[in-house]
Amino acid sequence: MRTWLTLLLATGFAANTAAGAEPPPVRLIVKPLLCVVDKAADSCNVLFDIRWKSVLPGEYCLNDESVAEPLRCWPRSLTGELRHRREVSEDFVFWLAPPAGVERAAEVKVEVLRVGSDDRRRERRTRHVWDVL
Amino acid sequence: MNIPRLQQLLAVAALWSWSQLVCAQTETPSTPSTPPISDAALPAPASVTPTRPLPKERNWRFGVGLGYGMRTNPLVLSDDIPVIVDLDIAWFGKRWFFDNFDLGFQLADNRIFTANAVARVNSDRVFFGKTNIRYVNFTIAAGGDKLPIVDTPPPPGRPDSGPSFEQEPQELRVPDRDYAVELGLEMLFGGEWGQATLRGFHDVSQTHEGFEISADYSYRWTRGRFSISPTVGLAYKSDDLSDYYWGVNPEEAGVTLQPYEADGGVDWEVGLRTSYYLTKSVRLAISADYERLHDSVASSPIVAEDHVLGYFAGVAWQF
Repeated sequence: MRTWLTLLLATGFAANTAAGAEPPPVRLIVKPLLCVVDKAADSCNVLFDIRWKSVLPGEYCLNDESVAEPLRCWPRSLTGELRHRREVSEDFVFWLAPPAGVERAAEVKVEVLRVGSDDRRRERRTRHVWDVL
Repeated sequence: MNIPRLQQLLAVAALWSWSQLVCAQTETPSTPSTPPISDAALPAPASVTPTRPLPKERNWRFGVGLGYGMRTNPLVLSDDIPVIVDLDIAWFGKRWFFDNFDLGFQLADNRIFTANAVARVNSDRVFFGKTNIRYVNFTIAAGGDKLPIVDTPPPPGRPDSGPSFEQEPQELRVPDRDYAVELGLEMLFGGEWGQATLRGFHDVSQTHEGFEISADYSYRWTRGRFSISPTVGLAYKSDDLSDYYWGVNPEEAGVTLQPYEADGGVDWEVGLRTSYYLTKSVRLAISADYERLHDSVASSPIVAEDHVLGYFAGVAWQF
């Protein structure tokens, strides 16, 4: 009985230790997340408001999919903010990662929606009674 | 249904448009010639994504709108047409296309216009699917004319008619009409100035044996996530088309319905479609349009209102 109890406690301790070694949960908030492009434009010029929060203090770098180097790195801290202007012409990802790490602590996708089309047939309006949109 | 309702709807749409334009987000679409803007005050340098060719558009377009809307029915003894679900189903091949029950073939496509041959179903018939029957008693006026007393319920058994009434209530119903298949040509124009369409269609199903020629213009403004698109249009409907749907044949006429021959004329319409994009595939949509029937149709004994008003508000998904 004592042996089983010891094993159980040891397993629990090991599990707690392993959980403590995992990277803390980080929340990355980016606004806006959508760029709507009409036919007359190729891209949006967006001023992104980027914020992150972490449960435990840590060193993080903000990365942009289209740039090799991080946009900005923060020393050990719980939060971070950045306003970043960028030309957006296709979907891409912002992500947070430790300075030397490859594993992403958090990531957010920014999407591009094209509402026009070069194919004029896709812009035609039907004149049906039931067509309201 | 009356005009003030349209004005209220348009006012709401305009107010929403204004508020969205004022509160538009910080992102602004830029033309290809616009250089990337670098904000020196910001801690990180601005970056520019290299321009890549645009992804190929899918052949299929499938969307669904859920919400509440209505299309008024100008016919007498008719119900308005509720719009709870609006489906958008289209397929575009290299030449052939199917766009919400319009079947088309692209004849020409150049820098100035796109010309298509299109087969479609005339939608005037839809109004005739939402009609009712009413029973009318008649009284004899001093001059000997029969005058209808409307709003009489159908007889439960034998009609309880007084001495001045005809013995049997007469049935008043809107005549049946068939769907017509029409074949025609359309020319689509588009540019930074907006979109315009010219269309000519003729009946090929020997239903009304008439034709329709129409033109419309629309312009879409997009700012941030908000998009607004006003439309104006004109449609000439020939004598045969107008008379088939909106006239009353001598065979259909009776004591409750006088014969009537409708002439051709020009209908006009205005519309406003607005969208607020929540995500790449979901948007809030409000739309309203008003179509004025031409005088000869509006004067028909089977027409109660001289216009058709449509409106819809809801959520639309594009898959």
